[in-house]
Amino acid sequence: MNTPVTMITDCHRPSHKMKRLTHEEKRGLKRTALKLRRNIVRMIKAGKSGHAGGALSIADILAVLYFKVMSVDPSNPGWEDRDRLVLSAGHKCLGLYAALAEKGFFEKSVLDTYGALNSRLPGHPDMYKLPGVECNTGALGHGLSISGGMALGLRLSGKQSRVFTIMGDGELAEGSNWEGAAAASHHKLENLLVFIDRNGLQICGPTAEIMNYEPLDQRWASFGWSVRVINGHDLDMIYENATDIPFEPGKPSVIIADTVKAKGLSFAEGVLKYHYWKATPEELSEAERDLDAIERTLLP
Amino acid sequence: MTQKNDPIATFGEALLEVAEENPDVVALSADSSSGSGLKFIAQRFPNRHFEFGIMEQGVIGYAAGLATTGKIPFVAAIAPFVTARPFEMVRNDLGYMRQNVKLVGRSAGITYSDLGATHQSLDDIAIVRTIPGFTVVNPGDPEDIAQATHAIAQHRGPVYMKIGKYPMPYLHGADYRFELGKAALLRQGSDVTLIGTGTVLCRAVEAAELLARKGIEARVLDMHTIKPLDTEAVLAAASETGRIVTVEEHYIAGGLGGAVAEFMAENLPTPMKRIGINDCFASNGPYEDLIGLYGLLGPQIAESVEGFLQSSASALSR
Ligand SMILES: Cc1ncc(C[n+]2csc(CCOP(=O)(O)OP(=O)(O)O)c2C)c(N)n1
Ligand SMILES: [Mg+2]
Repeated sequence: MNTPVTMITDCHRPSHKMKRLTHEEKRGLKRTALKLRRNIVRMIKAGKSGHAGGALSIADILAVLYFKVMSVDPSNPGWEDRDRLVLSAGHKCLGLYAALAEKGFFEKSVLDTYGALNSRLPGHPDMYKLPGVECNTGALGHGLSISGGMALGLRLSGKQSRVFTIMGDGELAEGSNWEGAAAASHHKLENLLVFIDRNGLQICGPTAEIMNYEPLDQRWASFGWSVRVINGHDLDMIYENATDIPFEPGKPSVIIADTVKAKGLSFAEGVLKYHYWKATPEELSEAERDLDAIERTLLP
Repeated sequence: MTQKNDPIATFGEALLEVAEENPDVVALSADSSSGSGLKFIAQRFPNRHFEFGIMEQGVIGYAAGLATTGKIPFVAAIAPFVTARPFEMVRNDLGYMRQNVKLVGRSAGITYSDLGATHQSLDDIAIVRTIPGFTVVNPGDPEDIAQATHAIAQHRGPVYMKIGKYPMPYLHGADYRFELGKAALLRQGSDVTLIGTGTVLCRAVEAAELLARKGIEARVLDMHTIKPLDTEAVLAAASETGRIVTVEEHYIAGGLGGAVAEFMAENLPTPMKRIGINDCFASNGPYEDLIGLYGLLGPQIAESVEGFLQSSASALSR
C-alpha cells in the first residue's frame, strides 16, 4: 500500500487556492467552540454523567462545520437543500446537541434536561426527539453507509447538498464501515466528507492496542478515498479542508483529524476514564475553571 | 431480600472460577471487557483473554473457530451487540454449526436506561430462542448468575445468557441449587402464578407480597431458563392455580410471555397475562423511572395482576 496521501501541515498546503478564515472569523469560531464545550459540561452537570471525552474531541470540528461550512436552517430543519451531518459515533451526541442548541435548533434550556426521564436528549441521538438530528446512531458502524445513501440520493435529486460524517477511530474496527467505504468510492460520492476523530482512545484502552487499524491514511486511500490528515483542533485546517471537497474529482473525501480526547478539560485530556465521565462536583468546578481560562485568552 | 450484589461482577468472578477449573475456557472482548466483567479472567489468565476491538460480527466467527478446536469461548458485551448486531453469525456459526460458545449480554433489557434504544435489548430472547439448539438463560438473582455461569460452561452447546447492570437482591435461600432448564419455586400459592425472569424477578416477588396482603396467594416461579422451557412447571402452575402472569423486562412478543403462551395455547389453554414492554422503542431516563413508565414496579405489577384476576373471573362467569 503506497498510495500517495496528502499530509496537511501549516507549511505544506495543496497548491490550489483554498478558502481562508479571516482573523475575526477565526476568533469568532474559537468562541463558538468554547460555547460548545460549555454546553457539553452543562449537560453533564444536569445528567451527572455522560460520554464527554469523544464529544469534546470533536467540538472544534462541529463548531467549524455548523457555523462556517454547512448550509442548515434551524427554523426549517427539514429543508431539502440542507447539508447533512451524520454522527456515526452516536455516543458523541453531547457535542451534536451542544452545536444544535448553539445554532438555535432548540432552546438552550433543553440542555438542562439531559438525563431526565423522556428527555429530548437521550444518551444517543433520536431524530424524532430533536430537530437537526439526521439519524438514530448509537450502535457503531452504521453511519457511513447511511451517509452514502444520503449522498447518493442527494446527487440523484440534483442537489448541491453535501454529507458530513463523523466517525470514531475505535469505531473503524466495525467491518460494516469498510463495506460503506468501498461502496462510496465505487459510486464516486464526491459530495461526501468523512471526519475520523483520531483521538487514539476507545473504551478499554488505546486504539492501537485494542485493534490496530493503522496506517489509517493508506487504508482509506486503498479503498479509493482521497485522504488528508490534519490537526483536528486547528480551526483553519478544518475550515480550509472542509470547504475544499471533493479533494479529488470522482472520489469521496476523508479527513483524518488528530485530536485529544476530552480536549479542553485539563484533568481529563487523554485520560481513558473520561470516555464516560461520572462527574464529581469538584471536577465540574475544575471544568468551569478550565473553560474560564480559555475564555480569558479570547478577550479582545 | 436485603443483601444486593452487582450482576456483572458476580458473573465475572464466577467466570474466573470456571476458568480456573477448566483450561479450555477463554474470554473474547469487543472493546467490552472492562464493562462486562472480563477483567478478572483477563488479569489471572491474560493469554486466555482476547481483545478484538469493536467488531461484534467478526468476533462471533472467531468464537466459532476457537470452539471447533475444543475451546469454550465466552463472548461478553452489551446485550444487543452479542445478539441483534451479529445475529446471522450467531445463527449460522454458532447455531447451525452447533458450536460450544457462550454469549453473555450485559446491561440487558432497559438497564442502559439513559443510553436509549440502540443500547437496550428488549428483543434478545425473542430472536435467540428461534435458533435451534440454543439455550437461553436469564438469571433472576446473584445466586442464579453465579451458578448459571458454571452450569452453562458445563453444558455442551451454544448458550445466550443475559444479565442486567444494577445490584440485584438475593431471592433464593442459602441451599439453593440452580438447575439449567428447571424453574425454581420462590413462593407457593394457589390463586395465580407469577412467572418472572431476570432483572424484574424481584419485582414479581414484591408484587406477590403486596397481593398476599389483599388475600391473593400468588405462586412465584423463577424462570431463569427460557429455552428449553420448563414445561412441567408451567403445566403444573396452570392446572393448580388456573391463572398465569409472566413478568419480564423484554417485549411481551417473543419473550418469556411468548414462550409460555405458545406452549399453553396448544397444551392447556389458560387465562394469561403478559407483563413486559409493548410494541415500542423504549424511552430514556433514570432506570427506576423507566421501569415505572412501563408498569414494571412491584406495586404496578400487583395492580395489573389484580385487574387481570377480576376481568378473567368475570369473563369466565359470562
Ligand atoms: C456496535 C457497538 N458496539 C459497542 C458499542 C459501545 N461503545 C460505545 S463508544 C465505544 C468506543 C468508541 O471508540 P471511538 O470510536 O474511538 O470513539 P471515542 O470514544 O473516541 O469517541 C464503544 C465500544 C457501541 N456503541 N456500538
Ligand atoms: Mg477514539
